[in-house]
Amino acid sequence: MTPELFFLLASVLFSIGLVGLVSRRNLFVLYMSIELMLSSVNLLLATFSKVLGDASGSVIALLMIAVIAAEAALFLAMIVHIYRKNRTVDSDTFNKLREEVENA
Amino acid sequence: MLSLIVILPFFSALLMAIVYLGNTKEKRYFFYTLIGVGTPAVSTILSFMVGNTLLDGSATIHHTLFQWISVGDFNIEVAFMADRLSVVMISFITFIGTLIHIYAAGYIKEDESYGKFFSYFNLFMGSMLLLVLADNPIMMFVGWELVGLSSYLLIGFYHQESSNITAANKAFILNRVGDFGFIMAISILFISLEGTGFTFDSIQENIGMIDPDRLSLIGILLFVGAMGKSAQIPLYVWLPDAMAGPTPVSALIHAATMVTAGVYMVARYSFLYELIPDVGIFIATIGAASALFAAVIASYQSDIKKILAYSTMSQLGYMFIAVGLGAYSSGIFHVFTHAFFKALLFMGAGAVIIALHHEQNIFKMGGLKKELKLVYITMFIATLAISGIPPFAGFFSKDAILVTAFASEHYIIWGVGSLTAMLTAFYMFRLFFTVFHAEPTETKKVHAVPNSMTTPLVVLAFGSATAGFLGVNEAYGGSSWFNTFLALPDAPLHLSHAKEYMLGGLNVLLGLLGMWLAYQLFAKDMREVQEDKIYKKVIINKFYIDEIYTFLIVKPLLFLSNFIAKVMDPKIFDGLINLNVWTYTKSAVLFAKLQNGKVRYYALYILVGVSAMSYYMLFKLGVVS
Amino acid sequence: MMDHILSNIIFLPLFMAVILGAFGANLKILKIGALFSSIVTLLLVAWLTYHFDPHAQMQFVQNIPWIQKSGFSYFIGVDALSLVVLLLITLLMPPLYIYMYHEKRKGYWYNMMLLQTGVTGAVLSLDLVLFYLFWETMLLPIFIMIGKYGNGMHQYNAMKIILITILGSMSMLFSILYIGYMHFETTGVWSFALNDLSNIVFNAKTSIWLAAGFLLAFAIKIPLVGFHTWMAPAYGSAPTPAVVIMSAIMAKLGIYGIWRFGFGLFETTLVYYAPTIITLALIGLLYYAVRAITEENLRKMFAYSSGSHLSLIALGVFLTNEYAWSGSLYFIATHALASAGIFLMIGLTYKRFKTVQISSLGGIASKAPKFTFFFAFFALCIAGLPGTGGFVAELLIIIGAFKANLWIGALTATTMLSAMIYIFWMLQRTLFGTSNNNIEYPDLTMREMIMLLPLVILLLATGLAPSLFMPIFEPHLNATLHDVMIAIGGLK
Repeated sequence: MTPELFFLLASVLFSIGLVGLVSRRNLFVLYMSIELMLSSVNLLLATFSKVLGDASGSVIALLMIAVIAAEAALFLAMIVHIYRKNRTVDSDTFNKLREEVENA
Repeated sequence: MLSLIVILPFFSALLMAIVYLGNTKEKRYFFYTLIGVGTPAVSTILSFMVGNTLLDGSATIHHTLFQWISVGDFNIEVAFMADRLSVVMISFITFIGTLIHIYAAGYIKEDESYGKFFSYFNLFMGSMLLLVLADNPIMMFVGWELVGLSSYLLIGFYHQESSNITAANKAFILNRVGDFGFIMAISILFISLEGTGFTFDSIQENIGMIDPDRLSLIGILLFVGAMGKSAQIPLYVWLPDAMAGPTPVSALIHAATMVTAGVYMVARYSFLYELIPDVGIFIATIGAASALFAAVIASYQSDIKKILAYSTMSQLGYMFIAVGLGAYSSGIFHVFTHAFFKALLFMGAGAVIIALHHEQNIFKMGGLKKELKLVYITMFIATLAISGIPPFAGFFSKDAILVTAFASEHYIIWGVGSLTAMLTAFYMFRLFFTVFHAEPTETKKVHAVPNSMTTPLVVLAFGSATAGFLGVNEAYGGSSWFNTFLALPDAPLHLSHAKEYMLGGLNVLLGLLGMWLAYQLFAKDMREVQEDKIYKKVIINKFYIDEIYTFLIVKPLLFLSNFIAKVMDPKIFDGLINLNVWTYTKSAVLFAKLQNGKVRYYALYILVGVSAMSYYMLFKLGVVS
Repeated sequence: MMDHILSNIIFLPLFMAVILGAFGANLKILKIGALFSSIVTLLLVAWLTYHFDPHAQMQFVQNIPWIQKSGFSYFIGVDALSLVVLLLITLLMPPLYIYMYHEKRKGYWYNMMLLQTGVTGAVLSLDLVLFYLFWETMLLPIFIMIGKYGNGMHQYNAMKIILITILGSMSMLFSILYIGYMHFETTGVWSFALNDLSNIVFNAKTSIWLAAGFLLAFAIKIPLVGFHTWMAPAYGSAPTPAVVIMSAIMAKLGIYGIWRFGFGLFETTLVYYAPTIITLALIGLLYYAVRAITEENLRKMFAYSSGSHLSLIALGVFLTNEYAWSGSLYFIATHALASAGIFLMIGLTYKRFKTVQISSLGGIASKAPKFTFFFAFFALCIAGLPGTGGFVAELLIIIGAFKANLWIGALTATTMLSAMIYIFWMLQRTLFGTSNNNIEYPDLTMREMIMLLPLVILLLATGLAPSLFMPIFEPHLNATLHDVMIAIGGLK
């Protein structure tokens, strides 16, 4: 079990998450992709912690799990709220914060 | 005392202006007449007193008022100089001026802007006297311009008629064109003198240090100024139109004084012009051409004042022939005599116009010799004088000029001058006969002419008759008193007395010939000029010069102005700016498209940005080799 | 009070405006306050002039370090050049307030007070950043005056003048900062004071760009041909008090800037730019004058007139000889007076007849003689009539031009011709003839005449007795010119 394998896994997870973030419209999938990216970072931190023998990496990873959990709660609550208002979870419909361009 | 001659008219003009503006409706007849006519009278007396001291043999009088400006080598004072030339000028300017002021008091009496008139009139007197008495070119130029301003104000006196203002504008603008040349000449003169002082005296001393080419340039440019002021070709077109002003204005400004400023200027700069005879010949040629040209046009004009206007231009041409060929005194002598009979002619014309209720077409006049006897006699004398019939003034002065032309072997100029002399007699007597002798086509009631208008006529008639005797040259038994007094650097003449008599006789003959022709054609019944033949049409329309000027100058200027307004400014200069604006807005629109409000796209941008930065940091900044 | 007299002169109007604004003063108090501030500043400047020594250089200097670390200092002082402009500012403000007597909109009054502070500060600043600060401050009131109180396409025109002017100011700012940086490089100390910075030696190439930054700002202000498209719309839309200050003061500040900072920092580089600027000035002289001929709007016509004469002044400055310099400075003074006069008259025309289009006017001479007199007088001053100050100045510049070169002289002399065509035609159509409508033409009131009379008297005095006024600035100009010629002399 060389560290390189873990790095590879982490990169793959990150990429999957990133691509998902960019190309999917459904808010839940968006959130899952973000979670995936965060998880991959966690994995990376833990791996480095083991490799360098430094405990702070593990500490950060544990901290991050707590934060991610809180964030999940918030995010999902907001999605519920948005769904109640707009009856959809398509992220492309929420574009009010854009530049109004009159002509093409 | 010398300064008072100039300052008094300015002050009285200012005073009258302030009083007038205080209440324009109130007719303070007595006040305005007293100040308005009294001031030139005082100036006249003072001028004679100054003249007297010079006659007694004293040298030139200088008087400095104050330092006007002092920058670098440019030190100009408000200073006056009474030498023999200027004393002669101011004598007749003030004298005839006062007479015309008296005349004007009668002419303008009914007008409600009486006060304004005399304010302007005195402004003119002050300016003209400043021009003549200035001791340096800058002060002379100030007077020169102010005279132009007064002319503008007076021509446009009846300002309710837009056409009068157009005439006034024309006068001022053409004057200014001349002044453009004049100011260039003065500036070049000053620069060339390199700090040796800038009064006429000092310029005269140092004139030798300027090289001849430069001098010629200066001489020509000075003459450009004279062309404008003295209505010579090509800057003359304002003079006939200037007749729109009240007749006293025409008499004073456009006959006796302002228009002669150009001749005076050449005489004043005689020390310069005698060094550049070629320029002098140019001046004389222009003078001759103008003289003939104007005489031809005058022969076909119907308006009494316009005939006299062209006549003035013609006589001015003679003066320039004289000063151009180096006969400065003769030129000034003709200025002097011409002032008398031309002022008289204008004033007489004014009397006729008033008498016939503002009729100005000579062919609607006729047979006035009974009703306006005094005017008739005085105008007869003046017409004889201008036609060069001895012993009246015009003969001696005109003869002197033609003799000069002949003697200096400029036979073409002499020929032109002689031909013009005949034409002069012709058109002047044409005027005289149609107005006074011929049978009138319609009878009109004659309005009475006030004494204030007729008395000056008598005085001037006396002058026209006798003024010539001041300058009789040796051939006729005189002592050329006028010329010797002036002491100008005249070119010497060598002509035998016999030849002089012949030339003089020829002049008289030509005059009589013109008179006879006019008598034949116009004394009995007159016919208004018909535009039947082509040459007549051209001459009656003044050779279409006005139209040519409009075409060559006015229209292109308007076109250019509109071009700038519609094309240059909006399309080119603004165009550049609008191009900028267009670029910005277009790119703004482009960038705006990136911000579509969709979260996914923003995430993509973050991805791109971070990747680029990471790449740069890792590989370019040497974190990883 | 007299200790820091310059600061008082600069900030009194601002102070007055702030106090009155903070206490929500009513209109009457506001008017009195504004008039009071303008008269007090005038008196202070009069005292200043009385105690001014024409032979010394900078006087009444005040130098307080402001942000020392960055080198910004509150450095102000007055010499002959600034004194002339300062006098003009304080002389013109009271008549403007008299003109605005019936003005009910408070914004006018506040803006004019702010404007006075801005222009006064600009002309007295000797620290580059301070100068820039005041330069920008001038723009704000103008923007509001045109944008809020103007007529016609006023918002568009306000944007136009602001954006174009700021473009120039920005380039000037770049140059200022770079010069400051160069000073830091050479001496290790940050400073933006003029006398420190003028000691820097630039290499030729950088100084060309640096000078360009400054010259761009000033060329836009004057305006020189090519940089001028903001001018006519702005003048046409602006209310009269703004127009007067724009034409009489702000445009002159462009020239002042060249004199103070152009020649102060870059004498040798200006030789490089001289042919271009002289050409542009000569073209501008005629371009604007020809354009003015067919202009129907009186304000725009005199905007172009202003541009034409200011090009002449710019020409004079770049000729660098004593005649042209004296003429230019004298022209700055006399033209400011004349153009203030004519714009005030145009404003009075607008008040009475509700229009400044020539086609709607006419026949005024028959019904309002006093009005006619003043109007014609100012118009003739602008046309350069002898007896008025403008003629003296033009004459001197023409002589200066001939001293440089016969051809430049000949082209410069065309200034005699340029103004007369449009002015005389305009006078004919507005004053004379008969009007084609029956509008009432009330003549000038006593108050209006009191407002205009000082201008008339000054214009006549400067024309009839220039030697009264010129000794104030002659020595300084000659000394500066001498230094400039020495600096340039190394090149030629």
